[in-house]
Amino acid sequence: MNGLRLRSLAVPGLLAAAILLLALAAPMLPLADPVRQDVARRLAGPSAAHLLGQDEYGRDVLSRILWGARVSLAVAFTATALAATLGTALGILGGYFRGVIELLTVRAAEIVLCFPPLLLALLVVTLMGPGTGTLIFSLAILFTPGFARVAYAETLSVRALDYVTAQQALGAPTRRILARTLLPNIAPPLIVQFSLTVASAMVLESGLSFLGLGVVPPSPSWGLMIRGARTTMEQAPLLLLWPCLALAGAVLVLNLLCDRLRDVLDPRGRSTGSPGFLRKLAALPPAPVESVPLLRVEGLTLQVKGRHGSVTLVRDAGFSVGRGETVAVVGESGSGKTLTVLAVMGLLPAAVVPVAGRILFTGRDGHVRDLLRLPEAQMRALRGRDLAMVFQDPSSSLNPLLRIGDQVAESLRAHGAKSSESVVPLLRQVGLPDPERQAQAYPHEVSGGQRQRAMIAAAIANHPRLLLADEPTTALDVTVQAQILSLLTDLKRAEGGMGMVFVTHNLAVVSDIADRVVVMYAGEVVEEGPVADVFAAPRHPYTAALLASVPEGGAERLAAIRGTVPQPLDMPAGCRFAPRCERAIEICREVAPALVEVSLVRRSRCVRWKELV
Amino acid sequence: MLAYAARRLLLSAGLVWVVASLVFLVIHLIPGDPAELLLSQGGIAPDPAAVDELRHRLGLNLPLWEQYASYMGALLRGDFGLSLLDEHPIADEIALRLPRTLELIIAAALISLAFGMPLGVAAALQAGGLLDRLLSGAAALALSIPVFVVGTLAVLVLAQELKLVSAGGYVPFARDPGRHIVLLLMPAGTIAVGLGAVVFRVMRSSVLEVLERDHVRAAQARGLSAAGIIRRHVVRNALTPVVTVVALHLGTLLGGTVLVEFVFNWPGLSGYLVRAVEARDYPEVMGIVLVISTLFVLLNFVVDLLYAVIDPRVRHA
Repeated sequence: MNGLRLRSLAVPGLLAAAILLLALAAPMLPLADPVRQDVARRLAGPSAAHLLGQDEYGRDVLSRILWGARVSLAVAFTATALAATLGTALGILGGYFRGVIELLTVRAAEIVLCFPPLLLALLVVTLMGPGTGTLIFSLAILFTPGFARVAYAETLSVRALDYVTAQQALGAPTRRILARTLLPNIAPPLIVQFSLTVASAMVLESGLSFLGLGVVPPSPSWGLMIRGARTTMEQAPLLLLWPCLALAGAVLVLNLLCDRLRDVLDPRGRSTGSPGFLRKLAALPPAPVESVPLLRVEGLTLQVKGRHGSVTLVRDAGFSVGRGETVAVVGESGSGKTLTVLAVMGLLPAAVVPVAGRILFTGRDGHVRDLLRLPEAQMRALRGRDLAMVFQDPSSSLNPLLRIGDQVAESLRAHGAKSSESVVPLLRQVGLPDPERQAQAYPHEVSGGQRQRAMIAAAIANHPRLLLADEPTTALDVTVQAQILSLLTDLKRAEGGMGMVFVTHNLAVVSDIADRVVVMYAGEVVEEGPVADVFAAPRHPYTAALLASVPEGGAERLAAIRGTVPQPLDMPAGCRFAPRCERAIEICREVAPALVEVSLVRRSRCVRWKELV
Repeated sequence: MLAYAARRLLLSAGLVWVVASLVFLVIHLIPGDPAELLLSQGGIAPDPAAVDELRHRLGLNLPLWEQYASYMGALLRGDFGLSLLDEHPIADEIALRLPRTLELIIAAALISLAFGMPLGVAAALQAGGLLDRLLSGAAALALSIPVFVVGTLAVLVLAQELKLVSAGGYVPFARDPGRHIVLLLMPAGTIAVGLGAVVFRVMRSSVLEVLERDHVRAAQARGLSAAGIIRRHVVRNALTPVVTVVALHLGTLLGGTVLVEFVFNWPGLSGYLVRAVEARDYPEVMGIVLVISTLFVLLNFVVDLLYAVIDPRVRHA
């Protein structure tokens, strides 16, 4: 993977090296003297002796372009090197010592940023007169704060790390910590900043030369050449083209190199994949649709397509929810419970695709639909109306820039409501104090519990037939959790036949809120049944272990489940729980068990369920 | 909100004072006598009597603090002094030219936003697709061509080869609105090539980041259409970095229109500055630098206010 990234550096790297080599080799190449004039042959077109023709003084254009690269690169590199040295030193000192030293170094350097860059350069030229020395000096001043800022920010983040503190504790001299430990660790962003700055320096240098305030004639410089060719544009337009191409090409190569360097050195910022909400319907074989009371998920299998083939995240998951029924889906993180619920809503992340199964749902019109095969337009009509969802973290699930009332009103308007006058009654229904005022509030102005109440108000705005709640209390304070739970219970009672799927990893709340429970482990449903029956007599060792790990009444000690949940890439061949199961036998490790009916209302994925009494 | 604005304004006023003092100090602390430097042409030592006369006229014979006090006093009255070359009041010339430069910058920013933002959103929505790759490639190219090269090539192609427009110049709006706008569009469009590419890039990556946020999925769960989600929950949330970057570049442009004004003969503030720099007319350079830097500071103030308008959380910070 790293090799692949390095290879992406090859093309711009080689081109940059070629430019550098040509510039360095200019004195050795068989080129005409770049400053020798031949006025008799001014503006002559290309010839054998002058491949790109001659300029307004009869000088050889090709030679001037190559020598110009020398001047441009020399100025840009020298100025950048100066700025990098000074700026990095200032940034490290400021970031390491903080306090007064920070004020004297980083903040002082930032004064330069009070001036627009080109303006400052012109100010320096006024004071010192044009020339290469002035040019380098002014560019170095301009770019120093950039390096100081990068070095400062990186130093701040690195200096608190353990290995730096360890060195301090060992009594290493500060100078050594800074040079040997700190500097190598903050180098990558500085390298990116360096190549970025060389490109900007070339652009500024050529700009100033173009104005006649940079490189002094007759030295060749691309900016000067463009300035000269402008005056003879009517007679010899090509003369204008060559230096323009050279300059733009060189900057393009440097910029490309810079982009690739950033990708290699700092891969964090890379984002791939298309957004989830432009969902494409997964290509699934057609399946029959039969009548169900409310919701039936059957054989749901979800995969993520990776570089090394597909990985199955959820396998053969199934459960059903009746009218007015609450089903709790429990399991550890990574068991696939959230993905299963998102599949019902048709809101799976773009990378996750369903490859098998059915999700049958009876809408409020009495029609049964297979949500896995429903086109997006029809799916959208159901979302927020027949199907609603409450998410885990109300802080991030509310848009911070929109008023709470407006976001609740979205639910109503998305499904045809003309006015949003029922927003305040909705907010009152979910128990928000002073709903008129809260509707005008922004999310950051109310507490976490109140945000979740607002989210619930938006979810129930259209009296959905099925409410999916994905760990709706996990992100909240313990005292608030109980309030939200009782709100959900009350709402269900008030909403008549509304069914609810309640996803949680907290077994303690399940018996309070749910009629039936679905236990998931490593992407599979391992047990399903009425809460009271399952809790009283679990028919799967994992359920039993989960129940044993819940602190309850006078439990002497917590029984932790040994081992960890297997990773999707590395699933056991047989029963997925077998490596952690105290009752596993030979067959458990060899054959993946099926979900079998234990009784009319209960199912288990354990081959030894009969012995678990 | 008002308290926030007042605090920011006070801070900006302080910065302007710092900048004014710095400009004063830089001019007076450089080695050498400005009067002597000014009068020495081509290495010939100037007439001592003339230097003395100029020192008197510029007040350089007074103690430094007295010079500083009278400089600051004059600034507060809006008096930038007289040009050394033609004794013309500098404030008048700035007042004449500044609006033209601002017009150019604002036009360029509007063009950049008009193209960069929608294209950035479109590219982000199809990240990795054909449109995205085409647009991103074009943006990389646009960012690599220095602005004066774009301008020069535009003149070469549009004015000289195709004879569509004249090579540059300026006509007051009142005299000929149509021609004024055509002449404005050339330099403004030139600036917008690079600036539009910047807006595009920032918008694209910002939208990509916002699309991953939870509240977008929550909005989708409420049944909002894709267009509604993009409008209400994506674009506005993605704006903050765009505002930052555009403001930063506008600030750079305040001094950076020099090149474009030069290429298109646009009689703005920058051309005046270049002339002043070439003639080493200190009072002129000081006046222009001060005005531009003040605008720069004010621009940052406006940006801070914009943040507060976009994001309610900032108002209470």
